[in-house]
Amino acid sequence: MTPAPLLAARDLRKRFGGVLAVNDASIAVAPQSITALIGPNGAGKTTMFNLLSGFLRPESGAIEFDGRRCEGQPSHALAAAGLVRTFQIPRVLTRMTVLENMMLAGTGQPGEALGAALIRPRRVARRENEIRAQARELLALIRLDRLAGDYAGTLSGGQRKLLEFGRALMTRPRLLLLDEPMAGVAPTLALQLLEHIIDLRATRGMTFLVIEHDMEMVMAISDRIVVMDEGAVIAEGLPGEIQRNERVIAAYLGGIDQSAPAVSGSRA
Amino acid sequence: MRTFAFPAEWPLAGKRRTTVGIVAAIVTLALVAAVVSPRADFAQFAQLVVNGVITGSILALAGVGATLIFGIQRIANFAHGDFLTIGAYAAFVVNSLLGQNLALAAVGAMAAVALFAVVAHFVLFRPLRGRGTVALALISVGLGLVIRNGIAIVAGSEIRRFQVSQSDVIELGVVRLAPGQAVAIAVAVIVAPLVGLFLARTRVGKRMRAVADNRDLAAVAGIDIERIAVYVWILAGALAGLAGVMLGLEQGTFDPNMGVGPLFLIFTAVVLGGIGSAYGALFAGLALGLAMELSTWDGFFGGLDAKYKPVLAFVVLILLLLYRPQGLLGRARIL
Amino acid sequence: MDIFNVPFWTFVAVIAGIYTIFALGLYVQYALTGLPNFGHVAFAALAAYTMAILVIRFASPMPLAALAGLLVAVAFSFVLGIPTLRLRADYLAIATVAGGEIVRYLALNLQGLTGGPLGSIGMLGPTKLAQYNGPWDALIRRIVDALKESSIFAPVASRDFAMLLIVWPLALLLLLVFWLMARSPWGRLMRAIREDEAAAAAVGKNVFRAKMQALALGALLGGLAGLLLAWQIGIVTPDDYQPTFTFYAYLILILGGTTRIWAIPFGAALFGLLYSGTRFLNFFPLSLFDSGERAYLRLLLVGLLLIVLMAVRPQGLLGNRRQLLLQ
Ligand SMILES: Nc1ncnc2c1ncn2[C@@H]1O[C@H](COP(=O)(O)OP(=O)(O)OP(=O)(O)O)[C@@H](O)[C@H]1O
Ligand SMILES: [Mg+2]
Repeated sequence: MTPAPLLAARDLRKRFGGVLAVNDASIAVAPQSITALIGPNGAGKTTMFNLLSGFLRPESGAIEFDGRRCEGQPSHALAAAGLVRTFQIPRVLTRMTVLENMMLAGTGQPGEALGAALIRPRRVARRENEIRAQARELLALIRLDRLAGDYAGTLSGGQRKLLEFGRALMTRPRLLLLDEPMAGVAPTLALQLLEHIIDLRATRGMTFLVIEHDMEMVMAISDRIVVMDEGAVIAEGLPGEIQRNERVIAAYLGGIDQSAPAVSGSRA
Repeated sequence: MRTFAFPAEWPLAGKRRTTVGIVAAIVTLALVAAVVSPRADFAQFAQLVVNGVITGSILALAGVGATLIFGIQRIANFAHGDFLTIGAYAAFVVNSLLGQNLALAAVGAMAAVALFAVVAHFVLFRPLRGRGTVALALISVGLGLVIRNGIAIVAGSEIRRFQVSQSDVIELGVVRLAPGQAVAIAVAVIVAPLVGLFLARTRVGKRMRAVADNRDLAAVAGIDIERIAVYVWILAGALAGLAGVMLGLEQGTFDPNMGVGPLFLIFTAVVLGGIGSAYGALFAGLALGLAMELSTWDGFFGGLDAKYKPVLAFVVLILLLLYRPQGLLGRARIL
Repeated sequence: MDIFNVPFWTFVAVIAGIYTIFALGLYVQYALTGLPNFGHVAFAALAAYTMAILVIRFASPMPLAALAGLLVAVAFSFVLGIPTLRLRADYLAIATVAGGEIVRYLALNLQGLTGGPLGSIGMLGPTKLAQYNGPWDALIRRIVDALKESSIFAPVASRDFAMLLIVWPLALLLLLVFWLMARSPWGRLMRAIREDEAAAAAVGKNVFRAKMQALALGALLGGLAGLLLAWQIGIVTPDDYQPTFTFYAYLILILGGTTRIWAIPFGAALFGLLYSGTRFLNFFPLSLFDSGERAYLRLLLVGLLLIVLMAVRPQGLLGNRRQLLLQ
């Protein structure tokens, strides 16, 4: 018997003007699995992430996280509940330092409440120290520790991807949605990151849903693969099955000439 | 070509049907109240419709410009009200100082403000684009202060009026009009549809709407955005100039602060129509003007005190932002 | 007037202190959290008018009336914030413009309540001069008397000097409080929202609540400045709350540098100096303008300064340009 999925979405639909970006798509992510979401450009993968993480509201369909209905819940509530996502175009806080970027994501800081820093300075400072230590540890993991004091706006694209990955980990998520986490990251570092992902699953029991274009990488790490094309889920299964699936191959070959560049696609 | 929704709408899907219901309910209620009310006075109603069309066209003409500028360059132009003031003073020069008729004065006003707007674009807004909405808005605030006080220094701060007879009254059936108002309504009835036609039919008009609606997509589609931006400033300036003349005529008098009050009404029309939607602003300006005037009709629950008209607009704005910030026409937009 | 006129500069210093508090409100909203507020003046006007109306028309005790004034200002921030803070920043900007305009419009037109164009002295009708300042004047008089006793302060003891002793310590205390808050995790959250609110939401922060806090705190500070201004001037009129008041506050922030909270008092002092200093500009060619025209010239220069500063030094005179221009 398979365990109940940690995240399950049924028949999600989202339209932008005349474009059906997500068309009655369903997806299930088993706990402690690494699931890959693939598909040609403009397939609706990022939009799917936006729906799952509460950044967009589906027109119809249902989403369940950890057995509870959650469509229509605000994104911050989902993130606080353990469903955290990263963005395809990294959203780093450019005029704040790398360390501040990380520390923002620390959880359980009472000092974020209005005036708490004045009323309970000691408790706030204690938690702040813990968060700082956690942030430094993760920065070492993603090899940004030497840039901790720099403004995030000075980072390269690949470094920003890493920072976003690290920032998401700061929240200690149960399910992490990664939107092309390796794009622009140096290959050796990307490999290390893969190991970390596998490691985090083993040690912390984390679950991952990853959008990725690099097929080699997808085949290497994922337990299951979900394929989207033109808003719909066209295939789902084990890596080996997907590799041989006719529709998937057709979608990828056909996608070369018809895929439009995502103009404002992944901004939402 | 595929169509795109304005990116602003992402946090607020799914309230459309309820809103339509609410609006329909209010309209029905108002109509019932109007018919049932024993005090319904239809001559007054007709008069208010005329006033509403004038006010509405002023807001519509100014709003089309403001919304296009917003859509194309992401500038909330806080000097837009002062553009109207420039128009009124330019027309004043042609009309009162040079002794020409009002039609010529209006053309002069349109030319003057269009020129001013293009210069502002090239000198100020184009070099500074990409500075962020707030920075650009502050710059436009500074521009407004310069315009307003510059006019006060050059032209004096005293109250001015156009050379139209203030005593004659034109009777159109049950409606009585001062000559200035008559000119204003004539302009309103002719120009507002012309602007609509221009946006709908001409190549430039269509491209303006396309760029204002979705700049990135328009760029991908090969539209020369830089050129369209220049045209938009010209159009916005000309329409603001005309609106300024009409506002001066409608009020009877004006001074250098004329544009301050209408600014928030113009912005309300822009939001009402959906930011970046030219048709929306055209329609919303008219609707807002009519609603404000008709709210004072005796048949409408005895009529609102005229001094609450701006309050009504403010309430409309807040409710709109609460329930339908993408504008009344939002979504139903064609590229 | 003599350029070294002590009473005059004391007055300017008082106004600069009040402007510091007013601009601090805008700092919390705009510089710290990134909320564009173009109707900040409305909060000052609402607090001042509420206080004056309650004291004059309902004979309520002044401290209570002042508190009510602050509450009304904060309540208005909720009216503006709740509909707009979930939307793009442009919508808040538009709502605040409308809010500022509607408050002044009501002050002008609800004659019965507000005294219309006359302001607070007209609140009891044309036959009776109304005033709300009794208790405040008594307090100031006691301070002046105490100053006269002391040997050091006796020569400068005046009402404005007493006001100075209230306003500036208060302003500095508030700066300290908000400096501490800006450095705390709360401030980090606000700055994160300024930079990218989606990123803050993605790591579990309630962005709407945080923005509402910033807007309300700013309204509180704006209201406080409005109260102080009302007490200092002794009368509340619609003309004291022109939209330009808001833009003075922006100018102060930009003069001082939007990235540093301690630059605000310097910005306010500089602004006070520039603004009041213009009255000494009576030499050629400025002498060609009469005094009425010079008032317009002054506002024109404010506008020009706003444009030039935003264009050339958006980070302010003391700010850090490198930080501001990071993408
Ligand atoms: N905010 C938006 N407004 C309008 N259209 C959008 C928006 N976001 C996405 N789209 C459109 O929806 C479709 C799906 O886009 P999406 O970004 O989800 O694709 P994707 O699978 O993530 O592609 P990629 O691999 O290029 O990132 C595209 O046609 C895109 O242009
Ligand atoms: Mg994508």
